[in-house]
Parts: sequence; structure tokens; C-alpha cells
Amino acid sequence: MEKFTHDIVIVGAGIAGLRAAIAAAEASKEINVAVISKIYPVRSHSVCAQGGTAAVLREGDSYDLHAWDTVKGADFLADQDVVEFFVRRAPQEIINLEHWGCPWSRTEDGKINQRPFGGHSFPRACFAADMTGFHEMHTLYGKAKTLENITFYDEWFVTSLLVEDNTAVGLTAIELKTGKLQAFKAKAIVMATGGYQRIYQFTTFSHTATGDGMTIAYRAGAPLKDMEFVQFHPTGLVPPGVLITEGARGEGGYLLNAKGERFMKRYAPEKMELAPRDIIARAEQTEINEGRAFQGPYGPYIALDLRHLGEEKINERLPLIRDVAIKLAGVDPVEEPIPIRPAAHYAMGGIHVNIKTESPIAGLYAAGECSCISVHGANRLGTNSTADCLVFGAVSGEEAAKYALSKSFREIPKDKVLEEEKRIFDGILGKEGDEKVPAIRDEMRKIMNDKVWIFRTGEELQEALKEIRKLRKRFENIRVEDKGGAFNMGLIEVLQLDFTLELAEVTVVSALARTESRGAHYRLDYPKRDDKNWLKHTLAYYTREGPRLEYIPVTITKWTPTERKY
Amino acid sequence: MSTKVEKIVEFEIHRFDPETKRRYVSTYKVPIRKGMTLLDALMYIRDNLDGTLAFRSSCRMGICGSCGIQVNGKPMLACYTQVLHLNADKLVIEPLQNFPVIKDLVVDIEPFFGTYERIKSVLIKPEEELKKSVEFIQLPKDLKKIWDLALCTKCGICYSSCPAAIDERFLGPSTLTTNYRFIIDTRDEGAEERLKVTADNIWLCTSCNSCTLFCPKEVDASSSVVEERSLIVETGNIPRTVMDVLTSVMRYHNPMGRYPTKRMEWAEGLNIKTYPNVNKADVLYFVCCLTAYDTRHQEIAKSMVSLFNRLGIDFAVLGNEEWCCGDHILRLGEKGLFEELAEHNVSMFKKFEANKIVTLSPHCYDAFKNQKPYSDIGLNVQHYTQLLADAIEKGKLAPSKPINKKVTYHDPCFLGKRNGIFEEPRKILESIKGLELVEMKRNRENSFCCGGGAGRVWTEDAPVEKRPCVNRVKEALDLGVEVIATACPFCVSTLEDATKVLDVENKIVVKDIAELVKEVL
Repeated sequence: MEKFTHDIVIVGAGIAGLRAAIAAAEASKEINVAVISKIYPVRSHSVCAQGGTAAVLREGDSYDLHAWDTVKGADFLADQDVVEFFVRRAPQEIINLEHWGCPWSRTEDGKINQRPFGGHSFPRACFAADMTGFHEMHTLYGKAKTLENITFYDEWFVTSLLVEDNTAVGLTAIELKTGKLQAFKAKAIVMATGGYQRIYQFTTFSHTATGDGMTIAYRAGAPLKDMEFVQFHPTGLVPPGVLITEGARGEGGYLLNAKGERFMKRYAPEKMELAPRDIIARAEQTEINEGRAFQGPYGPYIALDLRHLGEEKINERLPLIRDVAIKLAGVDPVEEPIPIRPAAHYAMGGIHVNIKTESPIAGLYAAGECSCISVHGANRLGTNSTADCLVFGAVSGEEAAKYALSKSFREIPKDKVLEEEKRIFDGILGKEGDEKVPAIRDEMRKIMNDKVWIFRTGEELQEALKEIRKLRKRFENIRVEDKGGAFNMGLIEVLQLDFTLELAEVTVVSALARTESRGAHYRLDYPKRDDKNWLKHTLAYYTREGPRLEYIPVTITKWTPTERKY
Repeated sequence: MSTKVEKIVEFEIHRFDPETKRRYVSTYKVPIRKGMTLLDALMYIRDNLDGTLAFRSSCRMGICGSCGIQVNGKPMLACYTQVLHLNADKLVIEPLQNFPVIKDLVVDIEPFFGTYERIKSVLIKPEEELKKSVEFIQLPKDLKKIWDLALCTKCGICYSSCPAAIDERFLGPSTLTTNYRFIIDTRDEGAEERLKVTADNIWLCTSCNSCTLFCPKEVDASSSVVEERSLIVETGNIPRTVMDVLTSVMRYHNPMGRYPTKRMEWAEGLNIKTYPNVNKADVLYFVCCLTAYDTRHQEIAKSMVSLFNRLGIDFAVLGNEEWCCGDHILRLGEKGLFEELAEHNVSMFKKFEANKIVTLSPHCYDAFKNQKPYSDIGLNVQHYTQLLADAIEKGKLAPSKPINKKVTYHDPCFLGKRNGIFEEPRKILESIKGLELVEMKRNRENSFCCGGGAGRVWTEDAPVEKRPCVNRVKEALDLGVEVIATACPFCVSTLEDATKVLDVENKIVVKDIAELVKEVL
């Protein structure tokens, strides 16, 4: 077991992780930053973000308007102090990226262009065609590579946090190339590992989005917040589930049912296709449930019609999704509508952090989708997540740097490292069990898809909980076929399955407890929002018996909750 | 999702076990349904047939660049390729080339990412400019110039198929393209610094076009390299070897620095119709500088004359008025000089009223067919292999003597990759009695460049092991062939050099197809 020592270790190299690394490295040349990622940075799921990044840049828009849109979109579960901070910091992040070389789409006079997006009452989505996340990532990666005090550990899989006296002192990680477990000593650790939507069958997410950091922090004692709130994106491509950007509707695309009807007129007559995602996803699911969807070989679907935009506009503004639709669904959007249906897309919930991105464990920070700060409340608006990653990625880097400069290293607990080695190599790799990853994984995804989807009931959630727990029991008997060291993907899949099973359970438990409907969490048995009892955040704490729930109030500064209409 | 199984496809996967350092092959039968990608198939194998198979993947929408593999010799993204679209019952799956293998389909891509450490992928501007809190203005038309080049996902596919990348001095197609994308970014002020990084290694690129051909995002890296070179040529900071080539062409209209008046020496005694003594013929035979001046290559030029005569074709040459077609010059980035050469040749073609041009070199062929100003006048141009294949098919030319040898064919990039002429040369070889044609593993579109393109035939300075021609000849030697046949004077030149430096001239010879056909008539 070797030891690696860095002032700050950032786990994850998507938009939040890279932005954190840059901020920390720029805070002081004295600070030594490590970025650990299980995949090469530019392979991170952030490259899949398509439509844009929200920021107030132009006359006619205002911080208050962006904040209000966000708070209303969040169904009033967002912490308003955080939202106010967020909207004020976002524009600088757009400019930073621009100065580093991001190829933002431009207006005729050469300024950064902005497009409309769902739930935003001003066109404030800065975009790089429909490859916004991709270009942000490559820009951040380019910038990070110029900073000499950042070391990248590419293809290292973090397995656990080392915590002493409620203080993060390091972590353990497997170097994939050698298969060896190593210990890292750090003063501050930033979790930036992204979402966990791979717990679902039909999802927009990369294979690698398995919520590692959330589970690792949770097991180390940090609570997970608002995990019942899972966003379903209205336009997942059928059959693979791959994202078709909301920008397609921002540019004027229609949603049609099998009768050729723009059905959104019945659900959000004013905003139509640009209502927030929770509302559209429910509308689509209703159309499907009530038999008005198209029927195809891959099940029911809704049509996203872009034909009226014309080839030129599609090529200029939506080139990626045209290519993706052709390559993966055999449909050219210039010629025919794209088959879509709602897909699990985003976790509003995550590691509980305060406005400074601090978790309750000293020295442990979290940013981006793996965190819950909470900007997005019960439902995130499109383009607010890349903005969140940039803003709070930067904040986490700055805060971690301040913290690291004021603290000294602590010894890492050797016994815990040895215990972790034993857990993985003897407990998992060495075990001759008879359960395999695909069976348990697919079962979990099916349960989540069938019973913890857009419309939920107490009864189904109960069933789901029972079944997930059964799967966890079966998991104890898991077997890794590959007994080798280097690039043992079988072992990695088992560790990821372990993480996702934990998160599936937390999601179900949190959803079961919340007996109201708010934002993306819709209970058929409790169809109304209940501010009297539920205007509060869920906190799930790890115990051996399963999550223990607590609640904390929502911070309200300016905007009193009202009925949410679009 | 259960649509019906369309067919069963056999996956032959070339694997490597890092524990035992053993290379081996596993074969799996995969039921393929509509919509299934190669990645889905690999996942099917890992989930259902073999849990030990290692490969990378993430986004499964062609944007993260994780899953590059070789499929039937061709590099591609597994997630962005439908199995049914490959129209195959069997697929040979291998890891990407040019990288050390870690395990199975997982290669060590570190050397590729390492090249990015040598450039700056961020705007270079004065500090005070970067402190401004408003955006730099960039007009849509200026954004457009960099957009397509900025689509590179860093998947490494270009690097894997790049003949120059076997020399680690070379930055590689992706990194050079990113460097160029910043140079032409209207916001950037670091061109000088950026060009310095490439000035000593960019000349290793042979313009073989593999990078552009295989890029999943259709980034034209090959052209970017040429554009970047032309900026370096403008600065004058170019290696001596490159300078010599350019100077020779400028002075003598051929890259070898020979007197134009000696251009026809090869044809002495052959009685060939020559401009300006003759100003009309059915076919204009464009000889190429290398074939006209180099003693070894003159044999090829002469062979072609015999073939024309045998076919009874009325042909003529431009004589001393044939100037270098300029292809190598263009690829070296000297656009002005290329234009000068091209304008001369075009004016000669017009004066000659050339109805049909036959070239010996694929480089002349490509220039006349695809490059302005040649392409503007709509020339009827043929590579000689097209002419011969057609004549053989129509029974006008029948090779009679046998060649009882094992022969492989090396595809010239400018004939194959750039112009899709793969089958004609093979048809010619197959028509020769006794000749056993065996393919190298890397053939046709996946062929490995000889290393002679874009002037490198004259500027080669790589250590022996890092020369593409040496790499290629070794591949042929492994096949146990006695002859490498090809159809390009530059391929003949580089490959023959390789047989010399490898000291295998007694084992293997390099022949142009024109020579082989002449031998058997």
C-alpha cells in the first residue's frame, strides 16, 4: 500500500470537479491539488450536457427573475439564499469559460448568444450549439492542464473515505491499471462524482453514472438530502434513452401524441413545450397511460417534431441530436419526428452541503450533481445544472483551499485502509458466491422503473423497498468472475452495483416518507403539495438497518410559496 | 426491450491477459436485435457469456470518446456503430493500434493524452485582457472556422491509425488540430508560441488521411495539419530538409533539384511523342518527377511506355514542360508554390487540349482530380491501374507469362484512402498466372501508409524503427511474401529503402504493378 499526499483531493473530473480543481489551484500556488477520476476527465458524463448554461447576461433579464424562475421551478423547496448567490455568480462563470476558449454560440454582433429554456422567463441559456457540456468540459480540461499544481489520477476508482473524529483525512482508491488499492492523505476532499441515474432502466445517463461519491460520503456519515426528488427528462430517445436536449423545444420543437395533437396545451397552456420538466414528463406519462401515445417496437413513445425548424436551423443549433437520432434510432429529425419518452435524468438530491459546499464532515466538500445545496429544490430547471456545477464547483475549490491552508495533515488510519483492502479483495473478489451483477442490477433497474417512476404510490414504494432490500441481501452473495488485478471491470461493476443499491434504497425510503406531491416527486395517493407539513428537506443518515430520516427547514428569503402554474 | 433477433453474429475478440502476458482469441455468438450497437453487443457478452472481458465505455452516445476499438481492421466507436449496419456475420474485434494493450480491448491511452501536455488548450491573451468581465467578441463566421475542429472528443482513433504517431516526437492528428483550432480562433493571440511547438515535428505527417477518414466526429485533422504547416512556412521556421525540397521545386520545378532540361533523359531512344513537337494525342502520359529523374524509377516510366504501345494507345508526354504536379508541395503547406506549378500545368493541358490524362503517380492523380485549380477545368484523368484493369477486363491485354510467387499488395494512400481505388490494382495482379496474392492485415481503407507522402519521402529523419516504411515492410515479411507490389513511385521508393535498411533485399523485392505487368507480357 503506497501513500499519496495532496492538500486537496477532488473526486470526479466532470464540470464541477474540474472547476473545483482550477479554483483550488488558482487560490494559491502553494496548494497541491489532485483530481481522481475513474475515467479520463473528458469521458465524464458532463460531456453529455447539451442545451445550455443559465446566466443573467443581458438587459431585460435580472438576478431576481432568474432566482424567481429557479425557486418556482423548484416548487419552493430550493434554499433561497443559495439561489440568490447562485444567480449572481453564474455570469462570471460564463465569462471565465469564454476567456479560456469555450466556443459559445454567438449573436450576429459577436456576443454570447442565449436561447429560451423550460421554466425560464427570459432566454438566458448560453449554449455551444447542442454540445454545451462537451465544450465546457474540454475548455475546463484545457485550462486545468495549464496549472502546474494539479495532478491527475486518471482511471482510479475511489472506494471509501477515511474519516477520523468527524474529519475527512483521506481516501482509498483502486488504480485500475494495476488493480492495487492505494491510500490518499488529504486535508480537504471535494466530492464531484455526479449523479446516479443508472439505478433506472430508462435513463439519459452514461454507464458510469453510478453515484459513487454519494454512497461513499453517506457511508462515512454525511447525510444525503432530498433523495426522493429524481428528475425525469421529457425527451429520452427511444430506444436507448440517450438525451435529446430540451434545446430542441427551446428552438421551437413540438411534442405530439398519436393523434397529432400538441397535448401540452392541456397541461401548461401558457408555456406549452417550455414548461418545466416535471410538468412535461407527467403530461407525457399521462398521454402514455391513457393510450394516446404512439406504439412502436420498443414500447409507447411521444413524437418530438422538429421538421418545421428546417434543415439549416437544425444543423446550426442541434447538430449533435440530429446525428445521435440518425445513428442510434435511425431517424433523421429533418425528415421525421424523433421518438421519445420520459427518462430518468437528474438527481436533485445528494450529499447535504451548506452554501459554502461544506458537508457536516469537516474537510469534506461536495459540488455538482452529487451534492444537494439546494438550488434545485424539488425540480431543477434545464441549464441550471451546468451552471450549478460551475458556480459551486468554483466555490468548493475556493473553500477547500481556504480550509487546507489553515489545517495540517492528519495521519490516515492504517487499520481502516487494511479493513477496506480486506473488504474488497477478500470479501468481494475472493468470495465464491453465486450471484452475478447483471441479474441484480437489471432487477434493481426494473423495480425503480416500475415502482419509483414519475407517478408513485405508497403501496408500490413499499413493494419496491422490500424488493430492493431483498436484492441487497442477494448482493452479499455476489461473485466476481474475473479474479485478475489489472482492469478488472467485473470488480468495478460489483462496487458500482453496491453503491447504486444503497442509493436506490435511500431514494425509495425518502420517497415513501414524503406524503405529498412536490416538483418531480408525485404521489398519486397524496396529489397535493403540503407546505404545512412538507416544506422541508429530507436528510437520510446511514445506519446498518437502513436510512434514518431527519428533516431541516427550507430557507425562504424573498419568495413565499404560492401555487405553481405555467 | 424485446424486438426480434435479426441474426447471430460471431464476435472474434482478440484479448490480452496482463497477469500471464498471454494473447489469445475468444469467440462469442451474439444475438443481434435491431438498434443494437457494438457496445451493446460487448455488454451482452460481458453480462451473459464472459464476465472477464474488459473494454471501456461511458456515454454510449458518441461524445465521451471512451469506446474506440478496431472492427474488422477499422477503428471506430463501439457505441456509435450499429451491428446490423456492418452487414457481417463475423466481426473481428481488436484493441486500437499504436497503443500498448493493458487488458483485452483496453489500451494504454496515456501516450495520446501526453501529447496534449505539450500544447496549450486555452486562449493565450495578455493578462489584463483576461481580467475583463465581458466576453471577447467573436462573429458567427469566425466561430464557424473553429467549430468543426473543436468537435474532437479525444477518443484517440486518429492517433491509433496514424503512421507518423509511431514516432513519439509527433504530436498526433488530434493535438495538432486542437493547436490549429486555437491558432485560428479570432480571440487568441498565441499563434507564434503555438507554431513553435509544432515546427520541428509536424513534418512527420504524411497526409495519408487516415485520421480524417476514421474520425467519428468528421474532424478534418489531415487538412488542419496542412493549414498549420502553411502558417509555419510563412514564418520561415522550417527544417533544412523541407526547405531543400521547396527550393528545388521553386528553382527546377521538381523536388529533386534536377535540371528541367534533363527531364526526358529516361525516354532516350524510346521515340515518344513529346510536346511541343507534337501537340495532340489521345492520351497525355503524366510521368511524375520521381519516375522521370530517378534511375530506379525510370524503369517504371519505361514499363508504362511498353504497356501503352502494347495497347496501341496514341500517347504523348509534356517533356520539359511537365512540371511537378505540386501535391507534395501543397501538403507541405507551400500553397503559393503549388498554385504556380498547377497554373503552369493547367495551361499546358489546355494548350495540348488534353482529352485524357493518365498518371503513374496517385499523387498527380489526386491533385488533378481533387485540387483547385486543376479540378476547376474538369480533367479526364485516370490512374494507370484503372487503364490496365479495364484493358484486362475487356481482353485487350492478356498477361501470358507466369509469376510463380507469393505477392502482397500495398495500397498507396492517395490511390486508396483518398480516391477509393482499391480493386483495380488487385484485379491486375490476380490476372497474372501463378501469382498468389495475399493480403496484409492492414489493407484497403485500413492500409498503413509507407511514410512517403507530404514530402516525407525526401525529409525522412526518423530512427529506423520509427519509419512507417520499415513498419510496413515488416508486416509484409511476416506474411512470407517475396514481392510487395504497389502502384505509386513514392511507395516504391520508401518501401525499397526499408528493405535496404532492414537488409532483406534478398528476401523481398518491391515492384510497381506496371513493372510486373510488363514482365509477363
